[in-house]
Amino acid sequence: MPIRLFDAIVVGTGAGGGMAMKLLCEAGLSVLALNSGPRTDPAKHYRMHRQPYDLKYRGLGNPLSLAGRAHQEHYSVEEGEYTEGPELFEHDVAYSNAPGTDWYWKRCKGTGGKANYWGRSSARYGDIDFKAASLDGFGEDWPVDYAEIAPWFSKAERYMGVASTVQNRPSNPDGEYLPQIPWRCLDYIIQEAGKKIGVPYLPDRCAQLTVAHNGHPACHYCGNCTRGCDAGSFFSPTWFTIPEAEHSKNLTLLTDALVRAVLVDERGHATGVAYVDRHNQREVEVFAKVVVLAASCVETAHIMLNSKSRHWPTGIANSSGALGKNLCDHLYGNPGYGFIPRLVGQPPTPDNIADSTIGWMPRWQNLENPREEKFIRGYSVYVGGGCGEFPGHYSQLEGFGSEFKRNIKRYYPATIGSYIQAPALASAKNYVDIDPDKKDIFGIPQLRFHYEWGENELLMWQHSKKMIIDFFRAAGGEMWGADSEPNRPGTSLHEVGVCRMGSNPKTSVTNKWGQTHDVPNLYICDASIFPTQTDKTTTMPLVAFTMRNCDHLLENFRAGIHKRT
Amino acid sequence: MAGQGIERREALRYIAIASVAATFPGFSQWTFACSDHLQGAALTSGAVQPYKPLFFSSEHFRLVEHFAEMIIPADDTPGAKEAGVAEFIDFMVANRVPVSARNEIRSTQDAIRAGEEAQVRFLAGLNWINAQSTSEFGQQFLDCSADQQKSFLEMLAYKTKLKPATESGREFFQMMRDYSVVGYYTSKIGLEALGYPGLRTAWPKMPGCTHPDDPEHVHLAQSTDHSAATLRIAG
Repeated sequence: MPIRLFDAIVVGTGAGGGMAMKLLCEAGLSVLALNSGPRTDPAKHYRMHRQPYDLKYRGLGNPLSLAGRAHQEHYSVEEGEYTEGPELFEHDVAYSNAPGTDWYWKRCKGTGGKANYWGRSSARYGDIDFKAASLDGFGEDWPVDYAEIAPWFSKAERYMGVASTVQNRPSNPDGEYLPQIPWRCLDYIIQEAGKKIGVPYLPDRCAQLTVAHNGHPACHYCGNCTRGCDAGSFFSPTWFTIPEAEHSKNLTLLTDALVRAVLVDERGHATGVAYVDRHNQREVEVFAKVVVLAASCVETAHIMLNSKSRHWPTGIANSSGALGKNLCDHLYGNPGYGFIPRLVGQPPTPDNIADSTIGWMPRWQNLENPREEKFIRGYSVYVGGGCGEFPGHYSQLEGFGSEFKRNIKRYYPATIGSYIQAPALASAKNYVDIDPDKKDIFGIPQLRFHYEWGENELLMWQHSKKMIIDFFRAAGGEMWGADSEPNRPGTSLHEVGVCRMGSNPKTSVTNKWGQTHDVPNLYICDASIFPTQTDKTTTMPLVAFTMRNCDHLLENFRAGIHKRT
Repeated sequence: MAGQGIERREALRYIAIASVAATFPGFSQWTFACSDHLQGAALTSGAVQPYKPLFFSSEHFRLVEHFAEMIIPADDTPGAKEAGVAEFIDFMVANRVPVSARNEIRSTQDAIRAGEEAQVRFLAGLNWINAQSTSEFGQQFLDCSADQQKSFLEMLAYKTKLKPATESGREFFQMMRDYSVVGYYTSKIGLEALGYPGLRTAWPKMPGCTHPDDPEHVHLAQSTDHSAATLRIAG
């Protein structure tokens, strides 16, 4: 490629990077976007209505398909035979876990990233989240409040299309919504049971197009969402931001370009990035006036920690020492599952054709008094069930023969399961750094995780298990069991915090526009800038913050702080 | 169709496995079970040949097939045999695809170990069944009467009928049941028998609940016999 100077380089094309490159391209900047893996092709990489019997291994996958790769664990639901894993998911770039850490780092390297297959829960954060530190005394507040960010949530919701209802809940500000996904019988049963124990159950905020929206067709309810939508009926970079960025003619998109480091000039300002071309393993340097990192939370920190220079001996823009610190995940796990007897024997109902969290129990703890419970902050719980793709409840039923077969069918509409989403508090024990010894096959020093669950989130886990027991009693249901341990950290895909934003350059990496304090032409547009975890998911908020960050970036171009090429 | 081939760069290394998979005759059974998706390869072989197992001896294969049909019999809907469950089991065991206990698998080595363990457990389990049947009824399992076979399986299937001497048989039965259920309910026949709504891939709208006047759904007949069938999980 001839040497060319771009206005902006965007690293990563997922929810954040895709939105950044779209906005910058549409504003007339010349943009070079780098994606670490290949181009995602819906016809090849999405499920496209394939049924398990269409697949050679019935979706269980060829056990040898990852032989010889650096990271051989299949990535559960996102992968398998439906979405040709080894090609689209990261199995070559190894990472390390410090002793005692069991972080499960799932990476989709295809264009659009994990947002091709995301869960679509899209609640707004509120002041109960932004000002949590003021309320309960732990940590620091965010550098923004709800009034400041609310218009950007609206912009993100209007763009993405989010289905929900107005609910007037203190922990969940309402937004601008498409009609909700209709409730199933089991949603009403769950809601009534929740009322009896003082736990709300309400429509989730779901980025799923219940009606046609911005030129994207309405959902056709095939139930394949989490393996990619063949019609683009929910927000994903592949169907939304990437084609719009390309339409502007201002985009140059490089695939299979694994970014190693941000390059700097003699002042320590960003001049571009160095990447490894996966096809020939050669390192290439590309240049721009502004660099935007959106490589997915911990990968952004990885690139910055590996960007060492005379100016930045511990990684670029790390004069605070906060880079890589403050890693916060969602604790996930199933606090209880069982069945509702009055649904046993009912005809099968299309409960999972929306493949989404139709309803949830939004945070109800510590609302009036931030220290009402033994833990601070709060968690939410997703509840679901009914007729799904595989009758996994068979393992709860004894016997064999016609009676066993009949019981599998009878219990099919009656099963209920739950999932806790509990925010981890910041801890000095939880961070990422560069492994001093190990390099991946491209010669890039590996990222190393240090992580353990803290007391506060484990108290939430215990609390949710008690609640679910009460819930099943109130529902007239029967419990089969619960996870004995929470899932491995990393499971949620919602990690935040390693490049936290803040007003104080001594304790934070970026300002409230995702612009690094130290390097004015280096921006971050992913969840790594979120200083704390909340009980809500990260995608819609990071899209909103990205829109705001890019607005500020463009303003800086207009003001002459950044100069066009 | 996705995932039909081992990747090119691995083909040489795993040529033996690849050739096994390419000639897997069980696909005639599977494609029979999903006629919308008949693939050229399955059709060119002409008339459907009797299935030749990849892993099991023909005696063991007949036992697996019979066992699977006892677990999921043909009644008002087709059973395991028609859905090709025994062929599924043979293919998965031959290719060392772990079907149960997948949580512990974090590497190809783990998967191979689990797949090989399943091979050993299947062979040992099938031999155990015949040995136990011979000592109890004086003949191999398949030669026993239907009543004898049924009472034999009940001894392995129900907690209340368990004896310490049959513990290894119970573990084998659970694995056999896992493989049979997965094989059946990932086939078109099985999913149709279950009434899986996702077989239909376009709904004009999400058909929600039609009883909003009774949110608790108390009008739905209370089932009376569910508890007997439920195996409680300790803890």
